[in-house]
Amino acid sequence: MSLRVLTDTDRQSKLEKGQSRILAQLDGICKKFAGAQHNALEDIKIEVFQKDFLSIVGPSGCGKTSLLKMMCGLIKPTAGTISWPTSNFQNSPENPANLSYVFQEPNLLPWMNVYENIKLPLKIVKEDTYSADEKIYEIIHLVGLQGFEGYYPRQLSGGMSMRVSIARALVTQPKVLLMDEPFSALDETRRFELSQEILKIKKEKNLTVVYVTHSIYESVYLSDRIYVMQPNPGKVFEEFDFSGIEKNEDYRFAPEFFEQAKIVSDSLQRAQHA
Amino acid sequence: MPKAYSVIVILSLFILWEILFHALNMRWYLLPPPSMILESIQSNFISLMGSLAVTLKVTLTALLASVIISVCLAIIFYFSKFVERSMMPITVILQVTPIIAIAPLISIWVDSSQMATLICAFLVAFFPLLTNTIAGLKSTEKNHLDLMKLYRANKYQLLRYVVLPNALPYFLSGLKISTGLALIGAIVGEFVIGPISGHSGLAYRIIESGYQLEIPKMFASVFLISITGILLYNAVRLLSFMILKNWHSSFSEAE
Repeated sequence: MSLRVLTDTDRQSKLEKGQSRILAQLDGICKKFAGAQHNALEDIKIEVFQKDFLSIVGPSGCGKTSLLKMMCGLIKPTAGTISWPTSNFQNSPENPANLSYVFQEPNLLPWMNVYENIKLPLKIVKEDTYSADEKIYEIIHLVGLQGFEGYYPRQLSGGMSMRVSIARALVTQPKVLLMDEPFSALDETRRFELSQEILKIKKEKNLTVVYVTHSIYESVYLSDRIYVMQPNPGKVFEEFDFSGIEKNEDYRFAPEFFEQAKIVSDSLQRAQHA
Repeated sequence: MPKAYSVIVILSLFILWEILFHALNMRWYLLPPPSMILESIQSNFISLMGSLAVTLKVTLTALLASVIISVCLAIIFYFSKFVERSMMPITVILQVTPIIAIAPLISIWVDSSQMATLICAFLVAFFPLLTNTIAGLKSTEKNHLDLMKLYRANKYQLLRYVVLPNALPYFLSGLKISTGLALIGAIVGEFVIGPISGHSGLAYRIIESGYQLEIPKMFASVFLISITGILLYNAVRLLSFMILKNWHSSFSEAE
């Protein structure tokens, strides 16, 4: 079975064998919010490998969202560094399109229709409009929004809105997709449907995904690697490696799936009381 | 449907008024019946319409000026806390001082009576637009701002795609209030300042007919002012509906 707690030597050998390349490295990240007495995040060390589906699991309030926002520069860490060793990869002013962020709510602009919402990032980063149109329709097709281009957000269901939100994140053709509990407001069926699609899109677009969730099942089903976090202050508790498991539709009913879910669940339980 | 009811109620009030006038044998110079008022509008049609045009011109110009100035100021205030803190008290002072009290001063400072009236109307109409627009700009959702930050949007893009559209419903409800206030300001201004040179507005028609004891004409002027106010208000409502119907929750029942 390929599930286990990842040790430093494992990681080292994996990197040496060239199976994975580090895309992002969070080192010693601390965050103390203004006016707070204690650190919200303390000494966080996380590595994101290329083409990884990485989940960060933890109880509410352990700073998962803050971590994600730091990775895309929305908030700044109090201490520590976030580096992108492989390249020109930083979400720099020259190329803000490399990283995309999917918010917890769809976060669509209500005064724009579906098409305009998806187009917005391209307009901001000033893509020329000719190729923009092509890209938008490709993405609309990819997330299954054909025929909804002219709809306004308030005419859409929760699942549909989330699709638009994902399409908007993908339209700039990012290399990394950061997702913050994107499906938490959806029902079970929609959740699964969209999870499947995210896996498909990840494969098709060669994406690296960093996924924040409090759902154990979701993280086990989707991820190559999982970081379990503990609260007060937020710290990394344990790290798991699931890579190499074939994830098809049946996997979520397979005994291995439940076994792995139990291991993560136990870890999370211990993390809460750590 | 409710709209139809209100029309019926108003019409029946007019009919009741007409009936009571004849039944109680009232004096026409105290309270003329609706028929007499209509007759007066008819016989003084050209002069009344001229006055209406004058008043309307002052009202709309003042409204346009307050829209432009309040939106510009609101944007400046939005980006600079310092300017807002130092300028806001001045606008509040202008707002809380009764326009009747300032109007004579304005008429001393400004030669043209049309300009003076316009300033009165502007001063009254300006404030609700400013405060509403500022509230609208400031109520932009944090997540929307984050989205723009994520793509490194500049100030212009931030305004154009997120902050200004977000303020639109607030601005439009301010506009509804200010439209009525601009008309009131134009009338009050003319009352205090005197007839607008060339052709007097509706306010001066009221004073004039009072002097000449042409009570039906006085009522006719008042009647025209009310109608104008109602039409202006509804024009703004229609405008809001057309702009917001697709996305704003206040129009969700319209579908």
